[in-house]
Amino acid sequence: MKVRWSLLLINKCLIFFIILFIFSKLNAESYVKADDSLIWDSENKNYVAKGNVEFKNERFIAFSDKMIAKYIEENNEEIFTIIELFENVKIEFEDEIFTGNYAIYTRKDNIIKLTGDVSIKSPSRLLTGYELIADIDNNKRILNSDDKETLVEVLLENNANN
Amino acid sequence: MINILTKKLFVILIIFLFGIQISIYLYNQKPSYENFSEKSITVENFSSIVLSNSGITKIGSEKLNKVDENNIFLFGKSYLENKEYKIYGKNIYINLKEEISNSDENVKVINSMGVLNAKGFRNLDYDGKIIFEGEVEFVID
Repeated sequence: MKVRWSLLLINKCLIFFIILFIFSKLNAESYVKADDSLIWDSENKNYVAKGNVEFKNERFIAFSDKMIAKYIEENNEEIFTIIELFENVKIEFEDEIFTGNYAIYTRKDNIIKLTGDVSIKSPSRLLTGYELIADIDNNKRILNSDDKETLVEVLLENNANN
Repeated sequence: MINILTKKLFVILIIFLFGIQISIYLYNQKPSYENFSEKSITVENFSSIVLSNSGITKIGSEKLNKVDENNIFLFGKSYLENKEYKIYGKNIYINLKEEISNSDENVKVINSMGVLNAKGFRNLDYDGKIIFEGEVEFVID
């Protein structure tokens, strides 16, 4: 009876760890998907994707019509440094959604800058403007209006309830 | 009598020779439907090394068909490998002079960033560009 229970427990633990492993793998997966084309330019060190582009990294998921991703080579590995997104840009970061006509993400400082009819949407608010700078590491959002006279600065605390 | 017979035979011979001449003339006027092409070479389970803009590229296939001096066709499961990428596909056409390779079949590309799956490719080796048309998925490691 004891042996049976032990085997059952081991079995359940094993299943739990397998599920955890699969979930962590799926969640950590980075990818680029495109419907029309993808060009790998090894001389200029970039990838150009066109048509319903979907890009995911460890921080956010981005959607747009076109994407240019620049990379560098480090220790025989290619690493994306700058991601540019063009037309119908939508970026999902945790519970926030940023939209705009153009976006540029720099890996070095973890900042996403969006321009052209931008919006920032969270479960409790919707803000719109001309330019949005999202500082991911410092959890800070700067939203500039169209006339560039009004400036809205939003500081999000890590444990804030929005 | 013999003279008449000889004359008749002579006339028949001339008509016969004339007929042959006409048939040769007409035959030479007809267009030729025969194909004159370079002999193609087919090799099975082939692998080789090609020197191109991106360095040494290893190529291989189930069947290689040398179309002419500059063009080869990798028939069946094929691959192209160099220091930058590994391309695994099917039915790959290579132009050695232009340094272009392409295929319309499903292709899998492995490079130092990840694994890419597409429905065909066009590799402009002289330009350092690989174009993947249609749906593309690039999973980054």
